[in-house]
Amino acid sequence: MKRTLFWLQCGGCGGDTWSMFNIESPNLPELFKSLDIEILWHPTISVKNRADQSQLLEDVLSGRQQLDFLCIEGAIIRGPRGTGLYDLANGKPKKDLVAALTRQAQYVIAVGTCASFGGFGADGEIEATGMQFLKWDKGGFVGESFQSKSGLPVINLPGCPCHYDIIGGTLSQLVSDAPLDLTEHQSPMEWYNIMVHQGCTRNEYHEYRVEDKGFGEKGCMFFHLGCHGPLAHGPCNKLLWHRRSSKTRVGVPCFGCTRPDFPQPYPFFETRNIEGIPLELPEGINRAHYMAYKGMAAAAAPRRLKTRKTGI
Amino acid sequence: MTRKIEIYPMNRVEGDLEITIELEDDVVIDARSAGTMYRGFENFMVGRAPLDGLVITPRICGICSTSHLYAAASALDMHFNVDVPCHAAWVRNITAMTEMLQNDFRQAFLLFMPDFTDTAYEEEPLYADMVKRYAPLEGSSVRQAIDETRRILEIISILGGQWPHSSFMVPGGVVSMPSNNELNRCAYLLNNFKQWYEHQVLGCNLERWQAVQTKADLISWIKESETHLKSDLGYFIRFAAKAGLHKIGKGHGNFISFGMPGLEIESERQTRVGQIPLTVGGFFSDNRLSSMNQENITEDVSHSWFASSGTSQHPYQGQSSPYATGSEDLRYSWAKAPRYKGMPAETGPLAEMVISSNPLFIDFIQLDGPSAFLRELARLVRAATVIPAVERCIKNAISTPGQYYIDHGEIENQLGHGLVEAPRGALGHWVKIKDNKISSYQIITPTAWNASPRDADGVRGPWEEALVGTRVKNPENPLEIHHVVRSFDPCLVCTVHAIDLR
Ligand code: SF4
Repeated sequence: MKRTLFWLQCGGCGGDTWSMFNIESPNLPELFKSLDIEILWHPTISVKNRADQSQLLEDVLSGRQQLDFLCIEGAIIRGPRGTGLYDLANGKPKKDLVAALTRQAQYVIAVGTCASFGGFGADGEIEATGMQFLKWDKGGFVGESFQSKSGLPVINLPGCPCHYDIIGGTLSQLVSDAPLDLTEHQSPMEWYNIMVHQGCTRNEYHEYRVEDKGFGEKGCMFFHLGCHGPLAHGPCNKLLWHRRSSKTRVGVPCFGCTRPDFPQPYPFFETRNIEGIPLELPEGINRAHYMAYKGMAAAAAPRRLKTRKTGI
Repeated sequence: MTRKIEIYPMNRVEGDLEITIELEDDVVIDARSAGTMYRGFENFMVGRAPLDGLVITPRICGICSTSHLYAAASALDMHFNVDVPCHAAWVRNITAMTEMLQNDFRQAFLLFMPDFTDTAYEEEPLYADMVKRYAPLEGSSVRQAIDETRRILEIISILGGQWPHSSFMVPGGVVSMPSNNELNRCAYLLNNFKQWYEHQVLGCNLERWQAVQTKADLISWIKESETHLKSDLGYFIRFAAKAGLHKIGKGHGNFISFGMPGLEIESERQTRVGQIPLTVGGFFSDNRLSSMNQENITEDVSHSWFASSGTSQHPYQGQSSPYATGSEDLRYSWAKAPRYKGMPAETGPLAEMVISSNPLFIDFIQLDGPSAFLRELARLVRAATVIPAVERCIKNAISTPGQYYIDHGEIENQLGHGLVEAPRGALGHWVKIKDNKISSYQIITPTAWNASPRDADGVRGPWEEALVGTRVKNPENPLEIHHVVRSFDPCLVCTVHAIDLR
């Protein structure tokens, strides 16, 4: 059965689209072909003149044209003062177009952190919000009780950018009509029920608390450099980028870009700590136990780690 | 008869762009280009920790995030007064230029060439071929470009962890310490890309292409063989001639470039400062080339939706509050108007070619002046210079062991700027740090130069000017306008500015 997709870019950088172009096996054209998805509109891909564009919009909004997947990339910009004038489409606030399209779609997919949770500008003058969340709070642009025609709430695919495999994987899953299990933040379990930390090649250093204090060292970046690997859900270190590497593997701390509070207000590249122990501990951990465990682990650290005589 | 046409949304443009043209009979007599989205990015920066720009600014643009990272890191190098070791500079350059390769071919094959498949060209003898090659997602060349640009980006994943939006460049160098094995892998990926580029895009090897030094050379090159004729470049040249691209999109003829990154070590001192750049920065106007001095750059907001303090200002002094009321009919864009010595200037691959005195492009400029054709040609052939440069950087990094990072120490300077040549041209970050916090962050992107609105003197921005005089065959489907604007590789997500909280 043929499905249709409409992709709208709002307050974003286009990074999720460009990440999506990195889909492999199958590559992007193959993916849409094998899933039998017709792209009604994608701002980067479509070739449609003005008249055809307005006709298409009219058809979708009146329901004459069926709409299966509505993908929103970028935050919904509501500023200044709720008017939405900071982001215009055809001279009108783009947020109104989003609202109208949302009512027609079988599935609404928020691609990237901005569309999911507000991301950049969620605290700022542009009054940005995510589709169904504003940071940690449910509600967002469409409201807490929103369900698309399929009965599902907005499906959030956070990440800055969203990993391309997640975009392809989610569409494949929905086309197959298999149920899609979602986390409490409405993201597919398959990719968001795992910590970024899982699979990092610095895990051994983390285990024995061999710490990275400056850039370009071998060691774990959790204790000093602000790594959010154990604090953020996402498959970076499982899927890898270009099946090759990840930020934490090369020595860039994870900034927790899949989290509802990204970009966090506190400094990047620094771990907020209490007496040398990170303020935020890996999810679900007891502080006293953790301190005892890390103390013993550090004492047990093997020499080859302490002298950093290993590959990363 | 005069009539006004608004073109919105202009698709296959990064970000939101609205163009208004005024036609007399079928010729454009005036044009306005408006950025229609405001993201307030620079504003997120104020009050944040000095290094935070490394995480936030790449997120301004999803297709050139490595260039923003490079500019942000270079500004910080200046704040910390640290001289980056050569190996780190090579890694920065390899990744920035890799991103450029990616950008140029995604732009050409996904964003530019599909206009040639518009049914308005149905009657052209080459039309069927164009559809076969450049139909969105389906065309044979498009599919190849999607695969090859994905593959080449693996280089950035190896050296920087991911693409887009990594933060592997830091003041003092880069955080990654690639092994020779990893660098060899990069060399292999680059070589694959080069083979595709020679075979598919040029239809000849790089050496043969580099021998094309004049317009006459180009004409004989294309006639020389079937493979030249039937390469993507060959198709572009032939179809662009049919579509009249050499006759449209002239513009002011002012160019600005910040220069391409460094390559070889010049002296014993193994630092970035001691490197010879691939091309130098400069400003070109009135057929005269002068060296580039960032102090001559100002921004004007007389026609932008920002409150102005009257005069145009250098980015270190720049202040902007959005959504100014008053002069409603004057203001029409979220983009500001950057000027060099008070003049508008276009930037991008063509500007690079002109400023680096590339003989082929200088010949064209002298004979015919700038055009939409020349701009896109520069983009398609830039790889012929960039690929060997990346090759040399990789080779240099492999051949000698070296440092990738040196401790950056403490902040010594309040002011820091990073000027780099991004895929779309001159990109600058101007950053002020006070009490260990960012107090001002001003960014001028390449598209801000190109898409600039008018300034206080009423002088049009580069692509507004380039549109004037264009003959539009069918006002209902003004393809010529699309060709001209796209030849600049527009990226409107980049043009956004912010309020200053002071
Ligand atoms: S660097 Fe980050 S992701 Fe890697 S082991 Fe340490 S905490 Fe985990």
